[in-house]
Amino acid sequence: MDYFLNLVNTIGIHTLLGLSAYILLLTGQLSLAQAGFFAVGAYTAAVLTVILGWGILPAIGLAMLITGLLAFLVGFPALRVRGLMLVVATLAFGEFVRMFFYNFRWRVTQEGVEVGPDGTMGFSEIRYFAEHGWTSWEVTSLIWVFVILVMAIIWWADQTRSGAVLRAVGEDELAAGTVGIDVTVVKMAAMTAGGVIAGLAGSLYAHQITMLDHHAFTVLLATFAIAYPILGGVSNVFGTLVAVIFIQGLLVEGLRFLGDWRMLLFGALIIVVMNVKPRGLFDSQTLRWIKSVLRLHLSRRIS
Amino acid sequence: MIRRGTEKMKRVTRLVSTVVLAATVAMPLAASAADRSVKVLGWGAKSGPLKSFGVNSEAALRSAIAQINAAGGVKLGDGSSAPLEVISYEDSACKKDQNIAILRKTTSTTDAIVGMGATCSGSCQAMFGVLQKKVGDSSDSGVQMPILSDTCIRPGLAKISEWAFRNVPNEVAMYDKLFAWLRSENPDVKTFSGGTETDQGHSFITHTAIIVQAAVRHGFEWVGPSVPELGPKVKQGMKELQAAAKTQHWLMGDTNYSVQARKIKKQNPDMILVSSHPFSACGFLKEMKRQKVKPKLLVGLTSSASQETLNGCMSAAEGLIIPTGFAPITPEAVSANEIVSEAGGFLDLHSAAAWENAYLVKAAVEKAGISANSDTVAEDRRKFRDALASISESAGLIGPVTRDGATGEASKPYVYVQVVNGEWKVIHDPR
Repeated sequence: MDYFLNLVNTIGIHTLLGLSAYILLLTGQLSLAQAGFFAVGAYTAAVLTVILGWGILPAIGLAMLITGLLAFLVGFPALRVRGLMLVVATLAFGEFVRMFFYNFRWRVTQEGVEVGPDGTMGFSEIRYFAEHGWTSWEVTSLIWVFVILVMAIIWWADQTRSGAVLRAVGEDELAAGTVGIDVTVVKMAAMTAGGVIAGLAGSLYAHQITMLDHHAFTVLLATFAIAYPILGGVSNVFGTLVAVIFIQGLLVEGLRFLGDWRMLLFGALIIVVMNVKPRGLFDSQTLRWIKSVLRLHLSRRIS
Repeated sequence: MIRRGTEKMKRVTRLVSTVVLAATVAMPLAASAADRSVKVLGWGAKSGPLKSFGVNSEAALRSAIAQINAAGGVKLGDGSSAPLEVISYEDSACKKDQNIAILRKTTSTTDAIVGMGATCSGSCQAMFGVLQKKVGDSSDSGVQMPILSDTCIRPGLAKISEWAFRNVPNEVAMYDKLFAWLRSENPDVKTFSGGTETDQGHSFITHTAIIVQAAVRHGFEWVGPSVPELGPKVKQGMKELQAAAKTQHWLMGDTNYSVQARKIKKQNPDMILVSSHPFSACGFLKEMKRQKVKPKLLVGLTSSASQETLNGCMSAAEGLIIPTGFAPITPEAVSANEIVSEAGGFLDLHSAAAWENAYLVKAAVEKAGISANSDTVAEDRRKFRDALASISESAGLIGPVTRDGATGEASKPYVYVQVVNGEWKVIHDPR
């Protein structure tokens, strides 16, 4: 059971990471900065629990706040550009963060043992859950409470005017601007919200994995972050979850025996989906089909 | 169309249910048929740039276990014998999350009494962090599973958890003795410099905390980037050296080494250190050759004393000297080398440790007196761990391997090898 819960936790954390990119995709922005925000959230929360002895919830809260603020600040210059230039700008930010942690050293001695980030050597023994006797079920519950909460908030927002505004900006910035939508404010809000969610994902990741180093936050992670909502589709939040289950559950874990071919399959899959379902696996057409099938099934049962 | 879809869904549901039911029925039957074998599960990098490490370790582990089984297997607590069984050897791709996933899979879904392998030090560091820190600490909900590693060589990892064990050489002692010997053999060699791959924790920490300091300690003069605090004590001036090392470094995935090689060439050292894994070490050595850099001595990282280095850059590596925990210099080592070669692998200091670990498992199982029943797995794992912790000396391929009970670290015999005419030759045997 422990193994399956670990897999469920990984899916939960990656779903949050994917949702952080999903919000930006709604506004038509393709960001590779999510891995950077994820890293900042991870290191911040880990420093708070390991070095400063904070509880897990306040640590996660502050990590989300800091990454949100950082995303807001990064958003100003980054969102002045669009399209490919935005991809390059956010990629540069992600690499900047990675290189920062590659050199970041803050070691303190606790009970005769040195702990804390150690540059290239990483930041190990982030053992909050084990040290506080958390069972696997409790860790999974914590992660999934956050996942459900974030999914519910995004889903709810999508049903309101806020969601319509985000999508309007994503569909056509110029048209959105002409009907009175402040495009910059909308983009900044999406960037900040994306940063907060990525920070949350990172802080959970740090405590799940127990060791951080720069290897974990490469451009590959940033690619995964945008691949989830692109593969799943941005019609609704569930597409991201389905894509994460597919990639992390099936490709990474289920097809482990394929070795190097796993990543090749991942690339091929993206290409196929982009051609066959350009709006993602879970686009509105698929949803309509599922709904009609379910409706028919239910009506037959009732009759 | 909708009706067709519904029928299709029904068929798929039926098929999945049948498969799940069949698997549920078959699993206990399979378990009962094989429950008198002592199960182990291995994992390592079988994909990615470090693929050869996992492939070689798997070949060594499986070959050694085949030898043990051919000789009668292992003795259980009730006096009967049972074979050792490698349930599988998984690909962890040198990724932390995948290592942890395999560890949890091994612990919760198999009857394995020990997890063996794991290629990268960083992955081990993460994996050991998931384990219970102190045995019997009920307040710590960490995973209780003995892990025996052959490759995670970064100094100090064993102290992370009492469930973690390593059979890796002591690099501090190896390099200290190496430079003492080089000093006495090469009085004309006075200065040295070198580079490392800074994105690999093992290479970087060994270069800055061990290799450079050992050379300084034995009278060689560092002519690389200025490090005023550099001294003869272990880790003296390490932080400053780390900063300096990053000015003439490379990364594992780099393909161009011209700047670094030119920089080191300008320093004109008598001895050059290449603290790097085979892939990037070969890149740097080839570039040195292209730029006609010819030091009097060339010293490499322990992990590069392997067939991969010869495959990648045989002529550029000519003269490279490395301390290693394995060379075919004893009858046991020669025999093991032949067996593993036939199985499609190579024995080097890491995969040889995988071979030795199989025999270490045999010794610990017999000392622990485990029952190897599917309902005593947790108990057997604990007994096995305690037995492994109590073994202070075991037979290695080139000599006895000792283990320090306090630090959990192993101490292995070693020799110095050099690439001579495209082959590794033992040039000094300090055993």
